[in-house]
Amino acid sequence: MSSFLKIALRNLFKSPTTDPYPFGETFVPEGLRGKAKYNAGACIACRMCEHVCAGGAIQIREVADKSGLEFILWHNTCTFCGLCEYYCPTKAIRLTEDYHTAHRQEDKYRYVEKGFIKYVNCAGCGTPMVPISPELLQRAYEHVNKEIEMLRHLCPKCRQKRALR
Amino acid sequence: MSTYTIPVGPLHVALEEPMYFRVEVEGETIVGLELTAGHVHRGIEYLAMKRNIYQNLTLLERVCSLCSNNHPFTYCMALEKIAGIQIPERAEYLRVIADEIKRIASHLFNIAMLAHIIGFDSLFMHVMELREIVQDIKETIYGNRMDLAANCIGGVRYDLSEEKIKYLARQLDNLKKPLEEITRIYMNNKFVRARTEGVGILPKDEALRYGVVGPVARGSGINNDVRVKSPYAAYDKLKVNVQVETGCDVKARALVRLREIQEAINIIQHCLKEIPDGPTCIDYLPEIPAGEAVAKSEAPRGELIYYLRTNGSDIPERIKWRVPTYMNWEALKVMMPGNKVADIPLIINSIDPCISCTER
Repeated sequence: MSSFLKIALRNLFKSPTTDPYPFGETFVPEGLRGKAKYNAGACIACRMCEHVCAGGAIQIREVADKSGLEFILWHNTCTFCGLCEYYCPTKAIRLTEDYHTAHRQEDKYRYVEKGFIKYVNCAGCGTPMVPISPELLQRAYEHVNKEIEMLRHLCPKCRQKRALR
Repeated sequence: MSTYTIPVGPLHVALEEPMYFRVEVEGETIVGLELTAGHVHRGIEYLAMKRNIYQNLTLLERVCSLCSNNHPFTYCMALEKIAGIQIPERAEYLRVIADEIKRIASHLFNIAMLAHIIGFDSLFMHVMELREIVQDIKETIYGNRMDLAANCIGGVRYDLSEEKIKYLARQLDNLKKPLEEITRIYMNNKFVRARTEGVGILPKDEALRYGVVGPVARGSGINNDVRVKSPYAAYDKLKVNVQVETGCDVKARALVRLREIQEAINIIQHCLKEIPDGPTCIDYLPEIPAGEAVAKSEAPRGELIYYLRTNGSDIPERIKWRVPTYMNWEALKVMMPGNKVADIPLIINSIDPCISCTER
């Protein structure tokens, strides 16, 4: 018993190990997997996040008037696994360090992360298409010159025509 | 003396998870035992066949919280075997590090529960406080205290920067001294010894007959560590000293776990020294052909086997587990008879049952 008595006495004079959380600071390391944040500007609507989301928390669908795509992430269904962030090619979705998920019952269905990707018209033929984000260009070409920048505004068909010319 | 049958569980103050035991007692001594499982069935096997390979990474991690790294880990190994993917060397080391960190946390939890069950609650809290160091490691490196999400198909999803390697090494050093201290308590303390020595005996021949795995087998003198017998990830490049005890009782199993924690710390330190530079994951999305594979790994509780069959689509056709607790709890029928009623929770805890793994 004496062996443990020593430890018990030592622990008695140590400060508490637990954080005084609501009244004081708590330990939040960098890189904690908290609530997801979405950046519609970088998104290319490849739907990989929707595909890998185990909980089915992410939905990307066309809005009723067909003017663009709507991104919805239900925080209550999210498991904070971070697969969406990992597989997102442009890092349009990332997990923040914000782990506070308490909310009122009446806000249950409004507790979502939303984003809207407005279709743009192709500079060549005018068909509506998902805009190509600068993040994707950065990923595809290391140095983006004017020529490549112009491709951004063309739909796949027009791009093909341009390449064959 | 008359014989009684007493029910223990499925919900019982001393059992952490729902499991039903019909215990036959004569006076205060156990003479017979009947087990009934299936109280927390969640149908994960069925769910896994409805989701694609990526979604399963997250789903399988939630099969069980204490061995949560081993499930996606073994699943990834099975997939990589089917697709013939060679993962980068750095990823192999990072997988081992994640595995061993989870092992430390899991074993410390079981050790703490032992103290709690014998009523030594101050020791319980002391060990749980020690475990907090490991929890902080997990939170800092992986971003979560239980579900690490370390594995992905073809590698790992995290990387260790110089800074994080230093932090990890420092935290492991902090763990060492208190660990030696508590090992001495579990070995020598009068009260712990009185409750654990000669309790729940599983002789070596019975252990072989029941095919028990993990620390339960090693507590009975059987060396069956998967990390050594059929190395996976980077274990073939690392030195793993298998901890074997011959006491065959509750104390021997606890000591195996304590020594394995020590060994896990050594393995991680070795990894941190040896870890090569390079990518942590393959840089393309793998295509999984039709095929089948079996992969196994050493979970904190013992050998975990995955059978996986794919049909060319990205939804698995069949997933089947064999988890360590299957064999271990059958062996309770040998461990229990002859012991006192008060030792029931203690013996159950000594096999470290993982009901959530076993019943999915």
